[in-house]
Parts: sequence; C-alpha cells; structure tokens
Amino acid sequence: MRGWRLLTQAGAQVLGRSSGSLSANKHLAFFRSLRGKNGTWWDEHLSEENVPFVKQLVSNEDKVQLASKLCPLQDEPWPIQPWEPGSSRVGLIALKLGMMPLWTKDGQKHVVTLLQVQDCHVVKYTSKENHNGKMAALHAGGKTASRFQLGLLPKQKVQIFRVTDNAVIKPGPPLYAAHFRPGQYVDVTGKTIGKGVEGIMKRWGFKGQPATHGQTKTHRRPGAISTGDVARVWPGTKMPGRMGNVARTTYGLKVWRINTKLNIIYVNGSVPGHKNGLVKVRDSKLPAFKDFCKNLPFPTYFPDRDEEELPEDLYDKNVWQSSEPSITFA
Amino acid sequence: WHQGKGKTLPSVVCRPGRQQSTGPSEPGAFQPPPKSVIVDKRCLPGQETRFLSPEFIPPRGRTDPLKFKLERKEMLERRKVLCIPELYVGSILRVTTADLYASGKTSQFLGICIQRSGSGLGATFILRNTIERQGVEICFELYNPRVQEIQVVKLEKRLDDGLLYLRDALPEYSTFDVNMKPVSLEAGQEVPVNKLKVKMEPRPWSKRWERPKFNIKGIGFDLHLTEEQMKEAQKWSQPWLEFDMMREHDTSKIEAEIWEEIQASKNS
Repeated sequence: MRGWRLLTQAGAQVLGRSSGSLSANKHLAFFRSLRGKNGTWWDEHLSEENVPFVKQLVSNEDKVQLASKLCPLQDEPWPIQPWEPGSSRVGLIALKLGMMPLWTKDGQKHVVTLLQVQDCHVVKYTSKENHNGKMAALHAGGKTASRFQLGLLPKQKVQIFRVTDNAVIKPGPPLYAAHFRPGQYVDVTGKTIGKGVEGIMKRWGFKGQPATHGQTKTHRRPGAISTGDVARVWPGTKMPGRMGNVARTTYGLKVWRINTKLNIIYVNGSVPGHKNGLVKVRDSKLPAFKDFCKNLPFPTYFPDRDEEELPEDLYDKNVWQSSEPSITFA
Repeated sequence: WHQGKGKTLPSVVCRPGRQQSTGPSEPGAFQPPPKSVIVDKRCLPGQETRFLSPEFIPPRGRTDPLKFKLERKEMLERRKVLCIPELYVGSILRVTTADLYASGKTSQFLGICIQRSGSGLGATFILRNTIERQGVEICFELYNPRVQEIQVVKLEKRLDDGLLYLRDALPEYSTFDVNMKPVSLEAGQEVPVNKLKVKMEPRPWSKRWERPKFNIKGIGFDLHLTEEQMKEAQKWSQPWLEFDMMREHDTSKIEAEIWEEIQASKNS
C-alpha cells in the first residue's frame, strides 16, 4: 500500500537508519495508525456535551433508514429475470443465536441451529469481467456496526457471493430470512471457535499412547514424525499448533423452519463458530441439490413486491409443531 | 417517628437481648406483648405459592435472550396441550410414552425422580425403579411429543436436590409398586419434605458421597463411616465457595419476566 511506503520512508529518515524494509517495518508500531487522510477521529474536536448528542443523532438517522424497507436508492431497481437451470442466487449473512431440539412427526429428535438475519443488505455489485471473468459477484453486508468505526457503509461483516448474471440485484435492498424456504438445503460458512495452541490429539485426532503398561512420560505425543530413508521431516507434517479461528463450511444442512417476523432460519445440525458469531448462508452447492432453487424466490424475496403475505412461521412438512397433540403410533 | 401519645409500637419490634422476668415488675412498666408480633408474610397459609419449573430459568452465559424467549414460547405452547405437573426430585411419577415396538403402542414407567437437568426444550428428568430385582433408570424429556401423560403418584421433596446415591443404596429404597395408587394432597398444603436417611450398600460406592462437594444430607453416614473417615472427607471442603461473589447469580428479575410471559400466554 502506498501509505505504508510513505510511513517507512518517514520512519527511516526520522531514525536515521538506512537498512532494508525489515527494520523499517518493526518501527511502524511507534507511529499512530492513520485511518483517514486527516488523521483525526470523530470526537477529537467535539465538546463533551456534543458527543452524546451527535451519537444519538446518527443512531436515529441509521434507525430511520433501516426501518424503511424500501430501497434507500432513488433509482429504479434492475429488472427481475426468471430462473434458468444452472443459475445461482445470492446468500445471506446471519447471526448464530444458539441451538434447540426439534421433533419430527415420526417421533425422531433432531437438533437445529437458530440463525438470525439482522440488517442484511446488498452492498456492491461487481460484473463478471471485473471480478474473475467467470461469474458476477454481489457483496452483501451483515450486522450494522457503528458508523464511526468503518469507512463507507457501517456493516460488521461483508461477504462475496458468486451469482450468475440473471440473479444480480441492484445494491441497496435488504435481504430477509424468507429468501430461504423450509425443506431446502444450505451451506453455512463461519469462523470456527479459536482454541489457541493445541496438541496433536485434539488438533489432528491422533490416538496417542496407552496410559499404563510402562509408558514413560509418553501419553499424548505424536510418536514418529517421519521415516528414516528421507532423513528429513516432510513440510506440512501434522504437529501441535494454533487450532481454530479459521473459515470452515458445513455442506448440505436442511432448513426445517423459518420465522419471517423475526427473520430466523432453523438449520439442521451444528454450524461453525460461537454464539452471536456471523456466518455466511447460501444455497447448497452439492450435486444432489443442484437445481433446487426452482421453487424458491429468485433472485431474492422482496416483501413489498409479492402480493400475498407470508405467515409468521413456515415449517417443513415433517416438523412437529408444539401446538399439535402428542404423537401416537396408531 | 411522630406517633400519637398512647399508640402502640409498630409491628416489627426489635426485642432487647436480655429478658429476665416475664411478669410485670412495676405497675405502668413496659409489658411485652404476649405473642411474637413479627409476622413472616411469605408463609401465610392463604397465599398461593407459584411454582416456576427450573427449566424455564436460562443458564448463565452470553446467549441472546431472544433465543430463550423463542424456546419459552414453544414450551408454553406444549404445556397448553400436555399438562406437565409440578414435580420435584424425590416425587414418584408415572410416565406414559408412545412406543412403536410395544403392544398397544404405549408404554408406562413408574419411578422416583432422581435428577432434573437441562434447560429449555431439552429439559430431562431421570426416573428410577427396581423391576424384578434389577435397577432401571430411564431418562425422559419433558417436552418430547411422544410423552403422552405425566402423572404424579406421590408429590414430595427430599433432603437433597439429586438422588443419584440411590444407585449405591439398598434396593428397598428404589423399589416402588408399579400399580401404586396416586396419593392426593390437600389443596393449599406445602409440599412435604421426606427426611428419610437412606442406608447404603457396603463401600466402595460409585462416587464418594461423603465428600462435601455433593452436600448430601439424605444418607445415614454414621452406619457406614467412622468419625475419622468423615473428618478425612472434610479435607476436600471448599469453605470459600459460599463467599465467592462471582458465583452469585440473582435470578429474581429473570423470573419476574418469565412470570409475565407465562401470564400473557395464559391470557391469550
């Protein structure tokens, strides 16, 4: 980045060292991080009484903007194109709330994860050529964060979704949980819980050694790390180290239920990440569910365009609801 | 403190420490009231004691309260269909479940509740009984749709919150007649506490029940352990735990919110 080069030059001049970039990088820590061009932060020159006033003002403006479900942009949105086999549509960014049991009509118990979609908006469109030459991309943003922390749009997490040309949406409209329907399958990506430095038994699932029968100080060690003939250790050998805090995807999770009022998706099984963590949800790419989005809202669910209002809870046909009577096998 | 002359003192009286004689020593001297004036409003017989099932209270953590609200909504809807009675550890219950492989497609089990765990929709309770001299424990889920009826045969409490030590007790304490008739309590009576001290099998037990971390009051330790062994067990006591402020968790506000939700769902 241009900014870093300027800083390194300034640092080198100030400290009078003429060595290479390595030493200059070490001295970057001494300089203040320059986020904007002017190098000031939002409440540096505000008086004490005005700080809460400005905060309140901005949060009111944000709330008003988000509360209106219409597109914040004044121009017409792009035309909706019909679904064709082989097209893929946008996904969502959701917050992992927690897990709950769910029972089906035949008495089987399943576990579901609740994912809540909070202020998910389409933020940017990159055309096929600009992105990678094969497919267009839409950037969707997740939870709204404080306006003063980030640059342009105050979103906590922005993810890229690769979509086909007929599924592009003009940036602006919010995305809802009704974008998905019960009975469909999704892939969920999230950053796994960070465990810090872990040993090989937890990190790679090695078996270790027995607890007794004469083992001297060897119960959770790897044992041999390479053969004798190569006379070295192969790069990439499984060893202890940092585990977790990496983006991972679980594929083929069934959607059991959708709450359209609170925008919550009930997804089968578990999802990578901790509670209140943001995850990326999209239609499954598995070959078994290739052309599933035939009956789903394409390119996405627009509440003001559809005439019929969806009920508050949408269930899969096998789900047992709590208002139903107890299950009997007649 | 402005009171009219000749008025009686307020209802809560701080009695002096030393009281020598009960009779009046001099005419006109202070005569203490004959009965204790301090009245504990909580134990009035007419008041209804509302029972909040422990699975409604969410565990301590960083989960969004919205998730607990959704769970409670489901639980209350299920309670409208199936009556889940007030049950404690130590009460005897009969549970009827739908079973695919049983004749008549239902199976019944009677037993004493030894443990209640879990919170929310996944709350469970374990029932224990001895059938043909074999101890059997079954873990039932309170909100499982296959549970068709939960009948409380005998409602009572025990001295402990968990009766897992019945596994090491003599089998007579876990045996209950499967065709027991329900014992009804008078309305308005408090739940009786059974102060039974259980006799155990010879040691070793599955867990060292004499240790203070289990805090068991329902075992007759004098018959099985010497005083020395009891003193030895007190070595594992952690007397600082009751003063640990980080472990204090006041659930009164959460319980008040939960009661409001329950009232709202009853009215709707």
